[in-house]
Amino acid sequence: MSPPFAELVAATNFSFLRGASHPSDMALTALLRGQNGIGIADRNSVAGVVRAYAALKDLRENLRDPPAGDHAALLAQLDAGRIESFKLIVGARLVFADETPDIVVYPQNRDGWGRLTRLLTTGNLRARKGECHLYVDDLAQAARDLLLIVMPSRHLARLPSTLARLNDLAQGDVWLGATMPRRGDDRRRLARLKDIAARTQTPLLATNDALYADSGQRDLQDVMTCIREGVTLAQAGRRLEVNAERHLKTPDEMARLFTEAPEAIEETQCFLARVDFSLDQLKYEYPDEPVPPGRNPQEWLEELTWRHAAMRYPDGVPEKVEKLLREELALIETLDYARYFLTIHDIVRIAEDKGILCQGRGSAANSAVCYVLGVTCVDPAENDLLFARFISQERKEPPDIDVDFEHERREEIIQHIYGKYGRERAGLVATVISYRPRSAIREVGKVFGLTEDVTAALAGMQWGSWGSDIPLAYVRQTGLDPENPVIRRAIHFAKRLLGFPRHLSQHVGGFVLARGRLDELTPIANAAMPERTFIEWDKDDIDALGLMKVDVLALGMLTCIRKCFDYLRAHEGKDMGLADVPADDRATYDMLCRGDSIGVFQVESRAQMNMLPRLKPREFYDLVIQVAIVRPGPIQGNMVHPYLRRRSGSEPVIYPSPAPEHGPADELRKVLEKTKGVPLFQEQAMKLAMVAAKFSDVEANRLRRAMATFRNVGTIHQFESMMVERMAARGYDRAFAQSCFEQIKGFGSYGFPESHAASFAKLVYVSSWIKCHHPAIFACALLNSQPMGFYAPAQIVRDAREHGVDVRAVDVNFSEWDNRLERADNGDLALRLGFRQADGVHENEGYRIVDARTKPYDSVEDLARRAALNGATMRALADADAFRSLQSDRRDALWAVRRLPDAKPLPLFAAADARELAREEDPLLPKMSLGEHVAADYQTLRLSLKAHPMAVLRPIFTRERIITCAEVSALTDGAFARGAGVVLVRQRPGQGNAIFVTLEDETGILNIVIWARLFERYRRETMASRLMLVEGRVQKSPENVVHLMAQRIIDRSGDLNRLSEAHRPEIVLSRADELIHPQHPRSRHPRDVRILPKSRDFH
Amino acid sequence: MTLADAKARAPHLAVAQADAEADERLMLRLAAFCEQFTPLVALDPPCGLMLDATGCAHLFGGDAALRTSVLQAMARLSFTGRAAVAGTPDAARALARFGAEGVTPPGEDEIFARPLSIAALEAPRETSVALTRAGLATLGDLADRSSAALTARFGDETMRRLTRILGREDARITPLRVLPDCMVERRFAEPFLDLSAIEHVLRPLIAEAMGLLEKRGQGGRAFEARFFRTDGAVRALCFETGAPSRNVEALLRLFRLKADSLADPLDPGYGFDVIRFGVLNAETLAQSQIGFERRDAQDGDFADLVDRLAARFGRERVLRFAARDTHDPLRAAAYVDAAASPSSPPGAWPKPEPGEPPLRPLFLFDPPQPIETMAETPDGPPMHFKWRRVRHLIARAEGPERIAPEWWRNAAGARRRTRDYYRLEDRDGRRFWVFREGLYESETAAPRWFLHGLFA
Repeated sequence: MSPPFAELVAATNFSFLRGASHPSDMALTALLRGQNGIGIADRNSVAGVVRAYAALKDLRENLRDPPAGDHAALLAQLDAGRIESFKLIVGARLVFADETPDIVVYPQNRDGWGRLTRLLTTGNLRARKGECHLYVDDLAQAARDLLLIVMPSRHLARLPSTLARLNDLAQGDVWLGATMPRRGDDRRRLARLKDIAARTQTPLLATNDALYADSGQRDLQDVMTCIREGVTLAQAGRRLEVNAERHLKTPDEMARLFTEAPEAIEETQCFLARVDFSLDQLKYEYPDEPVPPGRNPQEWLEELTWRHAAMRYPDGVPEKVEKLLREELALIETLDYARYFLTIHDIVRIAEDKGILCQGRGSAANSAVCYVLGVTCVDPAENDLLFARFISQERKEPPDIDVDFEHERREEIIQHIYGKYGRERAGLVATVISYRPRSAIREVGKVFGLTEDVTAALAGMQWGSWGSDIPLAYVRQTGLDPENPVIRRAIHFAKRLLGFPRHLSQHVGGFVLARGRLDELTPIANAAMPERTFIEWDKDDIDALGLMKVDVLALGMLTCIRKCFDYLRAHEGKDMGLADVPADDRATYDMLCRGDSIGVFQVESRAQMNMLPRLKPREFYDLVIQVAIVRPGPIQGNMVHPYLRRRSGSEPVIYPSPAPEHGPADELRKVLEKTKGVPLFQEQAMKLAMVAAKFSDVEANRLRRAMATFRNVGTIHQFESMMVERMAARGYDRAFAQSCFEQIKGFGSYGFPESHAASFAKLVYVSSWIKCHHPAIFACALLNSQPMGFYAPAQIVRDAREHGVDVRAVDVNFSEWDNRLERADNGDLALRLGFRQADGVHENEGYRIVDARTKPYDSVEDLARRAALNGATMRALADADAFRSLQSDRRDALWAVRRLPDAKPLPLFAAADARELAREEDPLLPKMSLGEHVAADYQTLRLSLKAHPMAVLRPIFTRERIITCAEVSALTDGAFARGAGVVLVRQRPGQGNAIFVTLEDETGILNIVIWARLFERYRRETMASRLMLVEGRVQKSPENVVHLMAQRIIDRSGDLNRLSEAHRPEIVLSRADELIHPQHPRSRHPRDVRILPKSRDFH
Repeated sequence: MTLADAKARAPHLAVAQADAEADERLMLRLAAFCEQFTPLVALDPPCGLMLDATGCAHLFGGDAALRTSVLQAMARLSFTGRAAVAGTPDAARALARFGAEGVTPPGEDEIFARPLSIAALEAPRETSVALTRAGLATLGDLADRSSAALTARFGDETMRRLTRILGREDARITPLRVLPDCMVERRFAEPFLDLSAIEHVLRPLIAEAMGLLEKRGQGGRAFEARFFRTDGAVRALCFETGAPSRNVEALLRLFRLKADSLADPLDPGYGFDVIRFGVLNAETLAQSQIGFERRDAQDGDFADLVDRLAARFGRERVLRFAARDTHDPLRAAAYVDAAASPSSPPGAWPKPEPGEPPLRPLFLFDPPQPIETMAETPDGPPMHFKWRRVRHLIARAEGPERIAPEWWRNAAGARRRTRDYYRLEDRDGRRFWVFREGLYESETAAPRWFLHGLFA
């Protein structure tokens, strides 16, 4: 029987590109190899420790409540005692910027932990994002309550003095780490270390300085080293490890390696015993700033709640709401969450004071308290809320409130929070950026010396790149040989690298606030964005530790709505807020039923627009369903059509029931009644698992977690047989059970809980109402909030004009920087385009034009002089045809403007001289044709108010018997048609069996469907066309949704040249185009998707 | 269009990296080839050549015939080209690239250039957009308007270019090579193939050139013979004399020496079209002699040795060791060309630890010698081993130094094994470097042992 041993110097893959095993694998492997503890220490970071902690915690929970799946095999090998007594200690490996050898540090107790995290914070804040600059003096300042293991470097000459210094600082808390790395001179080196240890009275501690759990991971570690060093394997040479020895070894093996120093093995046990710290001890308390002195948080929350409730319901708080509030407050008291609610309320109030619109979303919308405090907008009087969804006593998880703010002004809120709580008490949560197929294959490809082309082909082989696997079939599709050994190898390693953390980044807006010092809880680091700091743990980590976070998110539509409210106040004298929009407005629902929703929040996508006429929303709850139904969850679960059929009454609403002996026949009615027996929301799927498949609370909780995190995609399959079999056993139809599970799986990748859908539906309704009743205001606000949403300015303007809005051109005498509203002669509001729509005009110049416009500009020179504009700006204005009020069309204006000197804003005298420029004879320029104007409009403004390009080209197309979009839509189902238009959007949703293309001409919009097989044939045409001719058959649904099913596609982009010989209009694809702007639901917020390429060379 | 765009449209698109340097090399070769038409040839990027044919065209039967000969010669080399002959370089460029090619009669450049699109100005994008916005589509549209008004709007540069294309202003080209002081050539109706008869061609050519020099009272110091091959390759042999010379036989001798010393001998291939002899540098014959240049003997003894050995045995036979950056002792040393610059070795020799004995021996067996051993499992050192029928009893051992195989070099299937190296000392004090191949149990049941080296 060998002496017990614990590996105390174990790195994980959070030592980025050094460690080659997940923290959980490290901990569990140590357990399996018979060690009785492990110390996780990554390079200047504690980012990975929570995962190891959570893995062990899970394992222990499973021990009490054995699950199916992953850990079963592991549990079978180990006895419970070993698992219970296994000790995880967490710390960090300090790598210094000076000559000091690495020191592995473990906190001895809670104080030590705080000292360690503050030490790391110091190093982090000194350096750029992703780096940590530490000096041995920093450690000297913090050396109490810390246990240190010095890891000697190759040369030992300076080791004794280092040890002597550390021993002075922390007598008795310093160890000397000894390794036997099989370098040939191991024994001699060990002898020297023993000698130094004896002389400095530092105990020797045996370790293997592990980089990975199993020796089989050496090759992956080599690949990671190459990525880190930016070299290929062939070049890496001695930068790689010489052998595979740095894995976790059994106590036997360690004892054999250290036969000459058995005391070093025993020392690991002394060390373990000295550590009295576990992550359990991280007690965390919410700040009490918002509570006035002398008040207790719960009382204060209750007082605020009742006060606001009275304001929300001026006619008296409805009984139902009052009851809800009482229940919620009681539970909040029990769980001691009052401070959390107060903090959120505080943030919302700040936003209100600053005039920033905000709205809570997510499960918080289930709380009546949140509603009366103004955090959320879903009225409990009108909706059934499930407070338990938000907070429950059984689920020991902190509440999670997400609040959306106007995207242009969210930074103000963030900086306010930093300012109010201080950087040491507030921090953004981290997001662990992990290897995805695209990034993995790119970097691994480089390591294997594949050319950029090949890796790009491999990386580009999947649409959307969103998957956890790289199927070989895709490789073949790219024209590469999957049997090629190098490519196979690259794919093999890329697969293994998937899910490995690559670096930490800041979360989009998740804040953690603390009453005490946050930097004594977790290290804080600089983010890439200036003025942002974030903590090292991500949202799963803080969940596992029970920390609470507030999500401060940005939403473009809130910016747009706030601008709408501003304009309503200014132009219509209406003072409105989100809560003041009249409910149940007939005209608004009529508009939505027509699918007339360009620019409206959420329901503006092609798929949503097609759904609107089918779903025919008539009340708020219909919008909730509308928002939730066009999602991968319900679509994959095949729930959409059954719901529509039941809604239209063509299918009876039935509730599947269990066999009579297993329970009441209507057990599902309660769960599914609101959605006519079809599960559409996340919580329904959960409820279903609990009611129909009898999942226990713990099991349901696990299922929910598997659903919530993409990372756990692998684990969700464990639940498949569990759910389907149990439902089948209880007498449910197996197919129904299977489809329920499919839906749960769909939610795993993207699904909506009901409360979330309700919050969004509220914004859908508000934006629809404004669009319906104030189209000019809506279009103006939408244009001024760009970039956001699906549509390019051209479509927004076109839509506004179709709704009767008078849209006026950019003009130096009328426009401002932003688009603005003008009162037309008939009393309606007209939309005047602003300088922001014109290419090449800068914001401050736009403002200067307005400021200097004390009287109208009377000539080109007058404008240049008074607004101090340089030649380039003047030319941009002329090019945008903004001189019409000076009786100059684009050509004349350009001719005049180009004569002005090119330099900086004209000096006074030079400008005066410019006026004196000699009179010129008339250049006799040819007149600019309409086609030329349209083309130039598209080049400078991306839209034209003068005509649609297709209108100019119409005679050509008519001669070819190509009909307009409107004419195609008027044909009967099955008719053959040839339609053409400029391409707005191309999308390839879901499985990619069909490609949807939207064409536009002067009469309207036409939706094309291209099946994948046809696409392969017409790939070039589909991808390259800006002006597309499609031949095919019309398909018309009963609701009059028209699609043209393509049979032949012809690229007619060349015809755009016919507008004029020299100008070709730049047809801008919509922001939603997936083929040019792939949008990954998780990787990028639509807000962050890059703005369209500004121009393209067509030569 | 980005590559990604292009690939989205045509996924199987073959992609080659643009190699501007190779392009330029090719253009330089073509330029040399074109020197058979006129010695004044300039590069006209991108991918263009400018030939100053002033006074040469009649040799080919006029402008049109010259243009045809050039295009035909290019076609023989499998190049398609566009060519125009015009009064000024800019006009010729514009017509060749943007116009109808062909030959412009003298003085009619403007007539031919007027219909050209304004693209022919090759102005910056911003300027050409501005011109089209003004409705000015052709050079003629510009030519008709007041040049002061145009210059104020579109800049001097564009207007200068316009006047040059229109032939209103001339510009000279800068040829690639300076014109020799004196030049004579011989054109062959049938390609010249017979190298042995080359002196029969050269002698009269040299004599002719010397005659020309004599009239000027000069002698040549640098000479060049150029051979234009039918396939476009051009070979030039240059030689110099210490003093100005007009001695035909001496020059022929120098030529012969030069030709014999060529590493890559003169090859007529399918024959020479033109042979040209030029005097690159001529001086008055009376000038005093200056001393021969001499190389400093101190400098580069080693390089000289390598050169001499290489000259005698061939470069590929003179090699030296270079360190390779690898853990694998079998691959740690590589042979490299001794003459190659030692400044960039593939790796550096590992530095020994101060005060530590060397881990590696100086003498290595290649391949390692199999030995029979008795050793402790799993990874103990040998207690004794037998090599060349002699048993060595081990007195001291150190190790193992475990060196894992370079897995990425394995062809599929051929698995190499981890090696455990030991430094051994037998009872007689001899030191050995041995290794066990394969980790016991995890890689092999019966590891084999080898002697890899001897410590001195």
